[in-house]
Amino acid sequence: MLRLWPLRQVVSSAGARFIPACQKSTAPEPAPELVEVFVNDKQVFVEPGTTVLQACAVAGIEIPRFCYHERLSIAGNCRMCLVEVERSAKPIASCAMPVMKGMKVKTDSPVTKKAREGVMEFLLMNHPLDCPICDQGGECDLQDQSMNFGSDKSRFTDIAFTGKRAVEDKNVGPLVKTIMTRCIHCTRCIRFASEVAGVEDLGTTGRGNEMQVGTYVEKMLQSELSGNVIDLCPVGALTSKPYAFTARPWETRKIESIDVMDALGSNIVVSMRTNEVMRVLPRVNEDINEEWISDKTRFAYDGLKRQRLTTPFLKDANGQLMQTDWESAFLAIARKLQGVEGSQMAAVAGGLVDAEALTSLKDLMNRLGCETLCTEEIFPMDGSGTDFRSNYLMNTTIAGVEEADVVLFIGTNPRFEAPVFNARVRKSWIHNDLKVAMIGAPVDLTYEYEHLGETVDVIEKLAGGNHPFCKVLESAKRPMVVMGSSCLQRSDGSALHFMVSTLANRVKAASGADAEWRVLNVLHRVASQVAALDLGYSAGVSGVREAKPQMLFLLGADEGAITRSDLADGAFVVYQGHHGDQGAQMADVILPGAAYTEKDATYVNTEGRAQLTRQAVTPPGMARNDWKVLRALSELLGVTLPYDKLQEVRQRMAEISPTLVRVGEIEEANFFKQAIEATKAGKTSLGKEPLVPPQQVLKDFYMTDSITRASPTMAKCVQAATEAESSVH
Amino acid sequence: MSKYIEKISRLFRIIKENGGVLGSVRTVFRMEELKTGTLVGEDELGNKYFHNPMYFVGRSRWVVYSDAAGHDYDGSQVPAEWHRWLSYISDETPDKADLPKYPWLAKHTENQSGTPQEYVPYSTTRPKIQAWKPKTEEVYRKHF
Repeated sequence: MLRLWPLRQVVSSAGARFIPACQKSTAPEPAPELVEVFVNDKQVFVEPGTTVLQACAVAGIEIPRFCYHERLSIAGNCRMCLVEVERSAKPIASCAMPVMKGMKVKTDSPVTKKAREGVMEFLLMNHPLDCPICDQGGECDLQDQSMNFGSDKSRFTDIAFTGKRAVEDKNVGPLVKTIMTRCIHCTRCIRFASEVAGVEDLGTTGRGNEMQVGTYVEKMLQSELSGNVIDLCPVGALTSKPYAFTARPWETRKIESIDVMDALGSNIVVSMRTNEVMRVLPRVNEDINEEWISDKTRFAYDGLKRQRLTTPFLKDANGQLMQTDWESAFLAIARKLQGVEGSQMAAVAGGLVDAEALTSLKDLMNRLGCETLCTEEIFPMDGSGTDFRSNYLMNTTIAGVEEADVVLFIGTNPRFEAPVFNARVRKSWIHNDLKVAMIGAPVDLTYEYEHLGETVDVIEKLAGGNHPFCKVLESAKRPMVVMGSSCLQRSDGSALHFMVSTLANRVKAASGADAEWRVLNVLHRVASQVAALDLGYSAGVSGVREAKPQMLFLLGADEGAITRSDLADGAFVVYQGHHGDQGAQMADVILPGAAYTEKDATYVNTEGRAQLTRQAVTPPGMARNDWKVLRALSELLGVTLPYDKLQEVRQRMAEISPTLVRVGEIEEANFFKQAIEATKAGKTSLGKEPLVPPQQVLKDFYMTDSITRASPTMAKCVQAATEAESSVH
Repeated sequence: MSKYIEKISRLFRIIKENGGVLGSVRTVFRMEELKTGTLVGEDELGNKYFHNPMYFVGRSRWVVYSDAAGHDYDGSQVPAEWHRWLSYISDETPDKADLPKYPWLAKHTENQSGTPQEYVPYSTTRPKIQAWKPKTEEVYRKHF
C-alpha cells in the first residue's frame, strides 16, 4: 500500500528534515477551534475534520454502518450510514463527510429512515437467507441492523426469474472460510489486508452486481494476521474454518485472558462451551494489540486438545513410561532425591510457564539447596546482565513506537516474532512517516526499510559513529533500537548486547530525545522470559551443562536445549508441563500441568507488563495447576512451601518483585548508563556470522512451541504456506 | 370343624415336605413362602418346577431355583422352554411338548447386568482431549 502522505520525500527534496510525529509530541499544538454541529438539535463541539459519523458518536448516537471501521481507511461504499443534513438535497454518507460549521444532522428523520430501509432492502436482495446455517448467526451486523433499521417487508420478487445473486466460494487457505454469496462488498477485508497486514492479496474484480471480492487467482491469504478479517467481516462471508459449525455465540461463555504464543501478551477472549475451548478472539487493548491478534494466537487452540499429559507417568523397571497416580509419582521423586545434594540438582523453565509456577519452582529448588535455575531462552548474563530490568525489556513500549521517528531492528524479524507489534510499526510507517532500518537477514516486513547489512560489524560501525546511517539516528528526535531475543542466542550474545547498548546510549545522547525517552528495546520471543528474569532465573542452560546434575527438573521446557548427554550418567529427569513433547519424552517422571487457558496465572510481556490469564476450562484428566503441583511435591520432599492459596503465592511474588503483581501496568526502568558501566568489565569478541532470525518466511511462523506443534490447524498452515511458496502466483 | 382340621393337617404336611421345621424355616428364608405341589420336571440348571391346581391360576405353577444359585436367583435363570410352561403360555411341560430344535439356537444365559460380564455400550463420540502416549523404546529406536 502507498503511504498516504509521503512527507519525507517531499521534505527531503527541500533539504530540511520535518517529522510531524515528533513535532506533534514535543510541542503541544495550539487547541484547534472547535466546530459547532447539531445532531438532532443537540449541540456538540468537535474538531474540524471530524466526520459526521464521529460527531454523532460524540452526541451519543450510533449510526449504522458496514464499511466504516475506525482502524481502517474510509471507503464510503456501503451507504448504510446515510443521514439527512439540513439544506442538503440528498442524504449524505456520514462516514465520509467532514463536519461543517453549523451543520444540522438528523439521524432519525423520515428521510434518514427511508434511506436506511432502502439500502437495507438492496443489501438483503443480494444476500442469501441462510442465517440458520451461517456461522455468523448471532453476531452478524447485517442481522442486527436489518432488525433495527430495515424495513418490515421486501419487494424482491425476482426469485422465480433470475434468482438471487450467487458467487463462487474462494479457497484462501486453511484458516479463513469464504461463503462469497453472503458478501455485501464492504471491502473491509481488502482494506485490512492492504493497510494493516500489508499484503496485497485481496481485491475486487468486476463491478456493480458482478463485483467479487477475492484473491484474483486461487491462492492462500499469505499473512500472519489473516484471521482478523473474520472479525472484520460484518456478515458471514469470511468465517473461521476450524470453528465452522462447532458453536453458536450465545452458547459459549467468554473468558477474558492473555495470549502466550508470543511475548507481546495480546489480550484475548476465550470462548468456552462444555469445558472445551471453542475459539479465541481478540480483546481491545490500545497499549498492546489494539484489536488485532496473530493467526497463531487465534487458531492454535486446537493444539490444547492434542498430545496432552492427562496423568502422571513413571518409568517402570523396563524403562517404559507408565501411567500412574500422583502419590506414586511424588513418592518416586522423593525417593530418588534422598541423598542427592542441592548442588547436584538443576531446573530449566520453558517458554510457556507462568510466574506463579516459576516462583514456586524457584522457592522449592532453593529450599532443596539448588541454585541452578535456568530458562531455556538465552539472554546474556555477563556484566550487568539481567540485574537491570531495562537491559531486557522493550523499554519504549509497544504503543511507544507510534511516537518514534526512527526504528532500527537488529537481528529480528518482528513480523513473525511479534506480528501485532509489526502491524503497529507499519501503522506508524504509514501515518507518522516512521523511518525503519534493519541489520540482519533481509526479510519481508510488509513495509519498506533501509537494509544496513547482515553482519555484526555494521553495529560496531554504528556504535563507533562511522556509518552513514549514524546521521539519521543522530538527527532523530525519538529513535528506537529493537534487538531481537533470537540474535542473543548466539555464542557472542553478550558482546552483541553490549554493543547494541552502547549504540543505544550513543544515539540517545546524540539525538535530542528527552530524558524519559528510552532507546534500547529487547523483543522477546517467549511469554515466560521476562517473568523468569524478574524472578532471578539465570537465562540459558549453560549453568546446567557445567553442573552435570544428577537430577533435572524441566518445567515446560520443550525446545530440547538440554539432552541426556548434558547430564550425569543415569540422571533423574522430572518433567512438568501440559504437552507431551521433547521434554516429556526424556523424563523419568512426568507431572501433568495446566495450559494457559486452564489456570489463573500471571504472564509478563516483553514490555514488562504483568497480565493475568483467567481459567476458561479445567485441566484435562488428572492434570493440575502448576504451582499447586509444586506445592504438593514440596510437602512430600519435606520442604513445604509456605503458601496454600493463589493470593499467598502472589504475595510471595510481590516480595520478590512488586512489578509481577501490578497487573496491566508498566514500571519505569531507566538505568542504561549504569548498566553499560557495569558491563564494561566482561567483554567477549563479536562473531563474524550474519544475524539470521530463525523465523524468516511465513511457514516458519506457525509452529514454534509445544502447543502449536500439537495443533492440526497449524500443521495445515505450514503445509499451505509451503505450497504457496512454490506456487507461481 | 373338619375345615380347620384339614388346614392344620395340610400345614403339617407342607412342613414335612419341606424337610421338617428347620427345613421349612430355611425355605421361608430363601423363598418367602411355603407351598406344596407335584414336581413336574427339572431343567438342566437344576431348577425344579412344581404344579398344584389347588392354588389359583398365576400361583399354581412355580419354580424352586437350584441350590447352586443360593439366594442369588432371579427370573432370568429360567430357560425359555420352561418359561413357556411357567407363564401359562402352554400347559405342556417341555419334555412333553414336541419343541423344535435348531442348530442356531443359543444356550440359555441369565441376565448379566451388574456383573463383570454385563454389556456396556461403547461411546461413539470423539474424546475432547487426546492424551499423549509415550513412545515405547521400540518405536523410539525406529524413528530417532
